[in-house]
Amino acid sequence: MKAIFAFGLLVLTAFLGSQFLFKRKKLFLPLSYFFLSGLIYVFLGLSLGKNGLNVLSPEVLEGLNPLISLGLGWVGFIFGFQLEYRYLRRFPQKYVELSLLQSLFVICLVVVAFGWLLRSLFPSEPSAILYGMAVALGLFLSLNSPSLLNFASSEIPQKGNYYHLARFLVSVSGFWGIGGLALVASFWHFRFFENNIFSIGKGFVLLLCSTIFPIFVAYVFHFLTIKKTSEHDLLVYLLGLVFFASGTAAYFNLPSLYICMVLGITFSNLTRIQEKLYPLILSTEKPFYIIFLILIGALWEFNLDYKVAILVAVLLILRVVGYSFPLRPFGKILRFSFPLPAHFGLCFLSSGGIAVAFIVSLKLIYPFPLIDVFVSVALIATILSELLGPWALKISILKLDTEK
Amino acid sequence: MNIIVLVVIFFIMLFLKGSSLAPFSNPNFSPSISLGFILIFAFLVGKTINRFKLPQITGFILAGIFCGPYILKFLSIGDVENLQLLDGLALSLIALTAGGEMRIAHLRKNAKPILSILIFQTVIIISGFVIFGLFGRSFFPFFSDKTLVQGFALSILLGTLATATSPSTTIAVITETNAKGKYTDLILSTAVIKDFFVIGLFALSLSLSKFLATPGNAIEANVLTMVLREVGGSILFGGLVGLGIVLYLKFVNRETAVFILGVAFFTYQISHNLGLHPLMICLVAGFLVENFSSRGDSLIQAIEKVSVPIYVVFFAISGASLNLEALRRSWLLALIFVVWRAVLKFSGTYVGAKVAKEDPGVQKHSWAGFISQAGVALGMAVIVERAFPEWGGEFKALVLAVIAINQIIGPVLLQRLLFKVDEAGKKQLNN
Repeated sequence: MKAIFAFGLLVLTAFLGSQFLFKRKKLFLPLSYFFLSGLIYVFLGLSLGKNGLNVLSPEVLEGLNPLISLGLGWVGFIFGFQLEYRYLRRFPQKYVELSLLQSLFVICLVVVAFGWLLRSLFPSEPSAILYGMAVALGLFLSLNSPSLLNFASSEIPQKGNYYHLARFLVSVSGFWGIGGLALVASFWHFRFFENNIFSIGKGFVLLLCSTIFPIFVAYVFHFLTIKKTSEHDLLVYLLGLVFFASGTAAYFNLPSLYICMVLGITFSNLTRIQEKLYPLILSTEKPFYIIFLILIGALWEFNLDYKVAILVAVLLILRVVGYSFPLRPFGKILRFSFPLPAHFGLCFLSSGGIAVAFIVSLKLIYPFPLIDVFVSVALIATILSELLGPWALKISILKLDTEK
Repeated sequence: MNIIVLVVIFFIMLFLKGSSLAPFSNPNFSPSISLGFILIFAFLVGKTINRFKLPQITGFILAGIFCGPYILKFLSIGDVENLQLLDGLALSLIALTAGGEMRIAHLRKNAKPILSILIFQTVIIISGFVIFGLFGRSFFPFFSDKTLVQGFALSILLGTLATATSPSTTIAVITETNAKGKYTDLILSTAVIKDFFVIGLFALSLSLSKFLATPGNAIEANVLTMVLREVGGSILFGGLVGLGIVLYLKFVNRETAVFILGVAFFTYQISHNLGLHPLMICLVAGFLVENFSSRGDSLIQAIEKVSVPIYVVFFAISGASLNLEALRRSWLLALIFVVWRAVLKFSGTYVGAKVAKEDPGVQKHSWAGFISQAGVALGMAVIVERAFPEWGGEFKALVLAVIAINQIIGPVLLQRLLFKVDEAGKKQLNN
């Protein structure tokens, strides 16, 4: 009963959000992007959760478990659906290479730094879990969100090389991070952890299954929609198959985000009904996303001690360092026709919804006690980077494209 | 292609829920996989069954039964309970649609046959069940182990429950078949108004039965007040909700689908907290929007936009929650009751329509629109179980079995009727 009430509240708030937020005005005012991006809903969720009003109590959240895994699947599907080869091939090959190099560098940097830092801060925890957390933070930091650039596009008068490169990088970087999550979830599968089994063979099987299953579901979706399909039928097929894929992932402790991303990629490259699907996706995206953010806020076991503060500070520093300093050498290695100055890297501060989904995905896959520290660190870091994002964008792309 | 996909999805689920993968699974997320599966599976079953000229919702219900806790166990009883989160939403949406489909002009035109059918159905069905209870009691252990007075009380309650028709199923079949016309209006309006009526009647029957069945008990004096409070409060609250929707559609009119979803859930929850009837509230709200503003079509369109997946899950879960164990235990008596109820429905409708001087077609055929039963009857059975602990459980099991059969044959009969009288496909909603 309480769950019904909570869900009603979520839907109504989602509606209010779609009315009053996400407007593209005054992006560069302080705090504005924080509201525009919808991250404020994480706080609404926090206030409704067990640390606040307890409307979204742990029991209610258990009842809403399907919605959380479905939300993850939805985010993954939408992300994957945008990775259409017809669109991506317009960009030079070196853009993809830069994206991969950038992600690998950030992941390695974080793993090294946090591998040491976490062992110092949590000496009593098993090192396998601490290294796992370091890898997870690395993958988390490799994610960027295109939302900020989308919001800012109308305020960037001259869209030059830097804008287009940044747009490409923020749009595809999630692929590496989510792919990495699938690797971690397959080789460090929770059930293996529980039973102290580490099996490379089983890991490969799980990874293979996580990849083949959504491809198969995408083909099913394609076959169902190959004939002329009404909008109602299309919505049922879309929701049904995304929910089925994400539910299956959640049921087997695999990342819904990855499985539905593969589903989205495969389907967008198979189908010719993108024009029909985009309006459907757009009309459901906003409310879904807001409900999802609120649920995440409610799931958040908020704690801000000195350890969390240190980890957040280091994470933010690594974000700036990891995205800025290697740009010049990478630009030279890949022979870019225009220079890639360090401050161009500042436009990658924002990580948005995909990072939040990543955090939840990890929490669902690994219900260890330490995971709540990871959630706190990652969420606080995300919120801070969203606050700084527009300012960083202003002194990177806006300046660079104007100078050019 | 649909059948191939149906078979493929079925075998995938069989494999995923099989015992070989159980060690890798997380049972907490069983409702997640079940929801996705049932949405696509039930929809495909509905589409497939539709080729055989059967209503899609029968397919959704059959898919639910097939995958539910009593046959394939793809959905456990726990999964079904968890997924009932969607029930409140679906019921409210269906009631809003039903209210939005009722126009004052049509009601005025049909007032006489509606009232006549309503009264004669009620009188004939309750009398029929009392007669059955009195004369047939020696043949059935269900009646024979009770005193004459207890049997009488039980018959009155069975008769009241038998009067109920499911407006949700009625509106779903009418929406699916795009039906419009005299029969559609008459059946829908009667089913909806009967819902108001049956709730009041049930309160009275329950009080009378308690008086009869429990020696020394007095008829509850406040029963009329309770009925008035429930019905009056629901109408009042429904009016407020309707006003809210009208104002919203007039001044905001954006993201209407999300707004309606929110309204549906809040209404459902608040009505339960206040002891009101959510179905009535939404019916009144929908009725007000349709008849006292120019926004009725916007409301219907907004619901139409989101209704299909919710209907699929709602009816599939309804199917999964049908208690097949109860049906197995008392199938013979249940079957006799279903047939007897259908005979009484026919008689009540025939006499009612004849008294109202409706044409012979309405007299003979419109009974088929009143067979389906679902939520309201189920809710009443639960109340009876609590009120009469000594035989209420047995009563509920029998009613569940009757509902299970009626909910399968009811939509089929209604759809056949709408095609027979050539009203199916006559309404083209402007999507």
